[in-house]
Amino acid sequence: MKLLGAENSPEVQQLLIEQFSATATTIGGPPEIAVDRHVELAKILRDEHQYRIFGFVVAVHYPTRVKEATEAGEVIRVSYGLRSVGKGTRLASWQLCVPVGQSVPTLVYLFAGADWQEREQYDLVGVRFDGHPDLRRLMLSEDWQGHPLRKDYAIDTKVHPWR
Amino acid sequence: MEMTSSVARGRRRANPYLDLESYDPEADLMVLNLGPQHPSTHGVFRLKLYLDGEIIVKVVPFVGYLHRGVEKLCEKLTMVQLVPIFDKNDYVSPMMNEQSLVMAFEALLGVEVPRRARYLRTVLAELQRIASHLLWLGAFAMDLGGALGGGATLFMYCFRERELILDVFEELTGCRFHYNTHIIGGNRHDVPAGWAAKVHSALNVIEPRLSEYESFLIVNDIYIERTRGVGIVDGALAMELGITGPVLRAGGVDHDLRRDAPYHCYDEIDVRVATAEAGDCEARASVRIAEMRESIRLVRALIDGIPEGPLGARKPIKTPLAEKATEGHSYAAVESPRGELGVYVVGGGDNRGASPYRLKIRSPSLHVLGCLPYILPGHSVSDAVAVLGSVDPIMGEVDR
Repeated sequence: MKLLGAENSPEVQQLLIEQFSATATTIGGPPEIAVDRHVELAKILRDEHQYRIFGFVVAVHYPTRVKEATEAGEVIRVSYGLRSVGKGTRLASWQLCVPVGQSVPTLVYLFAGADWQEREQYDLVGVRFDGHPDLRRLMLSEDWQGHPLRKDYAIDTKVHPWR
Repeated sequence: MEMTSSVARGRRRANPYLDLESYDPEADLMVLNLGPQHPSTHGVFRLKLYLDGEIIVKVVPFVGYLHRGVEKLCEKLTMVQLVPIFDKNDYVSPMMNEQSLVMAFEALLGVEVPRRARYLRTVLAELQRIASHLLWLGAFAMDLGGALGGGATLFMYCFRERELILDVFEELTGCRFHYNTHIIGGNRHDVPAGWAAKVHSALNVIEPRLSEYESFLIVNDIYIERTRGVGIVDGALAMELGITGPVLRAGGVDHDLRRDAPYHCYDEIDVRVATAEAGDCEARASVRIAEMRESIRLVRALIDGIPEGPLGARKPIKTPLAEKATEGHSYAAVESPRGELGVYVVGGGDNRGASPYRLKIRSPSLHVLGCLPYILPGHSVSDAVAVLGSVDPIMGEVDR
């Protein structure tokens, strides 16, 4: 399944499939690759394919009650995007899938912009990033309980301090 | 004071994770909180500055004071209900926020936008860019304080000109600020009779005054002293941090989504992208002023040629639950006045698919604030205010 509006270019798609054995997921989004190889992929995209502008990090929580996630249990899917520079700019994106509680290697050492983006996703979705130099909450206060963008986060109950 | 001008204001990158234990033990470091309630922070934003004398050694920014949980709200409201919510994210350029959101939904739902609506969206986007940059120019001049005729002078003038554009928007949409004029598949409000003439007369007032304000700046010694060589964000650092928009172009990178990945009807018109080499506050200001001129040119070229035809792809949606997406991810980005404003949507959420499952806003202001720990060390506190004004952060968009 493609990322509508921002599909990978044919070369990147080929790279993802041939070198990183990327697979299409059943629930859509960019191709999925193995968690331990994604720093290597980002480095290749940056150095050899000129994807030099840091795009986005999006973490999505899939609890077990969502039917797509039942095979793997409760998972968090993390999508990364990088943008190439100048005329005909494209987005290159891929996604990782980790069970809740496991961490994803950080991209901070390749793209400094990943620092705050990963902190935001850690804060709101609760996915941890391995090797991040300063993994603190970004938006919410340090004593906040829970991660609001998890699907099981109750938004209509009063919990002290007020949510 | 000698240090600020020669050594520290160079083209270098500071270590944002600096261990203060390893800093000169003789130094008497002081911690200064700039903000969260400070006029130069343009909202609520806190910078924790570690100072050696007046020189900044380390910067720790704190965002989130304006966090409203918009992304969680997006999972509860339906797609149709979200457009007015997005007006409040970047409250200085609401048109761009609406456009990025509806474009992401249109990609997800496979809706084709008619040419007339795409033209009108382009005109609205360019007018909004002028209004947004005018507000930035005024606020930047105020940040520089006494440099420009007593601080608030240029601010008031710029607001006067921005008012002309808001009047034009009010005529079209009925609102001055939070327009709610974009719908999935088109635009809600059609162009009223005589609107193009009003836009022309507004631009005819703004253009000569823009030259007047620019001439305030470029001959002003105090302005040059406070901006030239201050806060250099070079192209490599900007790209690594994901900074886009005028701050990236001021660092010498020729990248603009309007020309490089055309959306709306930018593929039918030639967009001349303004760039600068120096990457300092002065370069960022000159790029934004050139962008205002370019936007004036684009609006003039487009406003008389808005094609006839339907303004929406379909009949207007009557109920919030009418739009449904069961699966798929989509991403749409526009070149907002602050850079690439993207919306990433995962479809198929609550309300039987009428809400997004997850929505992420890629806000350019959050990326641009990430540069502060890299560029501020070595500058004095007064330079920090100038740098903060020159990168033009909007806190409503940073915190969301």
